[in-house]
Amino acid sequence: MIVRRAARFFDDRFGTNAAVRYVATKVFPDHWSFYLGEFALYAFLMLVATGIWLTFVYDPSPAGAYRSVVELARATPVGYLMRQVHHWSAVVFVAAILLHMARIFFTGAFRKPREINWVVGLSMLVLASLTGFTGYSLPYDVLSGTGLRIADAVLLAVPFAGGWLENVFNGGQFPGPLLISHLYTFHVYFLPIAIAGLLAAHLGMMIYQKHTQFVDEPANVVGRRFWPDYFLRALAALALTAGVVLVLASTFEINPIDEIGPYLGWTVPNPATPDWYAAFLDGALRLGPAIELRLFGHPVPALFWPGIVMPTIVLGVLLAWPWIDAWFARDVEAHDVLVPASRAPWRTGFGCALIAAGTLLTLAAGDDQQSLALHVPIGALLVAYQILVPFGSLAVGVLAFVFARETAIRRRDRALEAERVVGLRRNAAGGFDAERPEIA
Amino acid sequence: MGDDLPRSLTRAAVVTAALAALGAALAAFVHASPALVGGLAALVAFATAFALAATARALHAPDDVREPRTVHATRALEPLPGDVTRRGVFDRFWLYAAGAFAVLGIVPFVALARNAAPSGTKWRAGARLVTPDGVALRADDLAVGGVETVFPEGHVSDYDSTTLLLRLPSDAVGGADRRDWMHDGNVAFSKICTHAGCPVALYRQASLELYCPCHQSVFDVVHAARPVSGPATRALPQLALDVDPEGYLIARGDFSGPIGPDSWGRTA
Repeated sequence: MIVRRAARFFDDRFGTNAAVRYVATKVFPDHWSFYLGEFALYAFLMLVATGIWLTFVYDPSPAGAYRSVVELARATPVGYLMRQVHHWSAVVFVAAILLHMARIFFTGAFRKPREINWVVGLSMLVLASLTGFTGYSLPYDVLSGTGLRIADAVLLAVPFAGGWLENVFNGGQFPGPLLISHLYTFHVYFLPIAIAGLLAAHLGMMIYQKHTQFVDEPANVVGRRFWPDYFLRALAALALTAGVVLVLASTFEINPIDEIGPYLGWTVPNPATPDWYAAFLDGALRLGPAIELRLFGHPVPALFWPGIVMPTIVLGVLLAWPWIDAWFARDVEAHDVLVPASRAPWRTGFGCALIAAGTLLTLAAGDDQQSLALHVPIGALLVAYQILVPFGSLAVGVLAFVFARETAIRRRDRALEAERVVGLRRNAAGGFDAERPEIA
Repeated sequence: MGDDLPRSLTRAAVVTAALAALGAALAAFVHASPALVGGLAALVAFATAFALAATARALHAPDDVREPRTVHATRALEPLPGDVTRRGVFDRFWLYAAGAFAVLGIVPFVALARNAAPSGTKWRAGARLVTPDGVALRADDLAVGGVETVFPEGHVSDYDSTTLLLRLPSDAVGGADRRDWMHDGNVAFSKICTHAGCPVALYRQASLELYCPCHQSVFDVVHAARPVSGPATRALPQLALDVDPEGYLIARGDFSGPIGPDSWGRTA
């Protein structure tokens, strides 16, 4: 009743019924993995909701930041929960984006005509990680302050502009008086607005170009309509995301900064490791070779290679992947039907190698703790990781390639076998029926 | 699928969600434990999710529906009114305009960096070494094998001046580099790692090495804190020490080199 009235009100003024009808009858293909991106979307909504609340209690000044966060957690259960839910939503947000991206990658959903949406999605992952890092730094506790110091050192290693970048971001040299205020502006303003804008483009493109599907029927979108099927299930997924985050937030304390103290500049926690999605960069810094080259008369900081070059190459290859993939496959066609990972062994191999490298670098960020636990000298562990990261990832990639290719061959053989005529049988009409082998 | 069982269950879930919401509000109001408030809030979310999923199931269309895909195929761009595609006028004009606007956009950002406060360490000849509590140290205040964070007097917690004072055993002093920079076994280095700037906070007394907990760079204290393991490429800058007439440890000047991580323009 209310819905009908509202629909008529807006239709009389804006002629919206056609659009409502278009959206309501839109067909969405169905698969469990299509919910991964939705989980990320809902985690983002929770981040915005709890984040707005947190802006009313946070004090973005070097002197007040730490105390305001500690007091927030102590004052009321709601304050404690808000911070917990916010941080856990960030973890779920980044995790869901990564899983969603893996699904897109291994099923070839990024292929023409969806290359731009892959680029938009990848940009959101980068922005999400930056938002996570700036948010993690806002309490200005001894761990996040140490992380800021390292990020500042990486910034300094940017060719030629490094000193200027550090200067602008800190309002001087590290730790400058404006550092927290700038982090805050980026965390609550630039980054989330950029994510929201890209999100609108992401969903808009998805609706306009229509969803990919596993059903091998290229001419049609095969699935269920938005209303009521998909609408209700999307709402259920939103509530489910909220439930999972709330359980995590009320069960596991995340980043208990009151136990480690504020950042003073001259103290440091041991062990010192960042949030898990930034750990691969920290691992790379640990493994980076201790060499300082000279280039055009400028000494090149050792941090330049693991801190600037490595992430730039990885990001560049991933951004260009739809085009690299098409070039590999000599494929200029548009595709709306997804393929299993085995059908593109080179893609599967590359994806698995990248995941292996990321995992190994993440593990390398804990090498000091592993050294203590395993009673292995840290130097030996360092060399082991320096060998394992390139060659281990390569081995995983090759194995995945071979496995995917074998699977594809086996599948094709089975399909051929099913089609093979093993005999002919006379039927009642006087013609012949082909006999096919029975396949379990 | 609209049978009675899911329907009654759906109703029960909605009632559960409503009651749990009231409970969560009440628990928050009386400052109950966060686990209880959060648990009840999670119950609201899960019960709602269940009710929605059950409703979706009840209304679920039995069969797939099909919607034809639109092909966004390439169509040749029809000639636009006015011959704007003529080379020379159009291309260059936009290039100049874009360049002009880029300059306007970049200049203010380059100018930003001018507001920077000058920095550098506060170590001067004659500056006393004081602890973070501001206590000045004499040459024998630190026990042999001991380690202490120190600052120049009057500048406690000045970031760039953060220094580590160590007291080496006499047998180590004998073979040490820059023996005249030490005083009675006291030796001082910048505490800011030359790799990524973390405080080089851990001292392995047995091997006379400083160890950075962030990226595991190791510095040899006896040999002018040169890096011996890990990703650091440059020694920790050293502070030459002396004592003033009252017996307090003082610096003979600034560090032996620039402190902290390198940039492309600033290095030793």
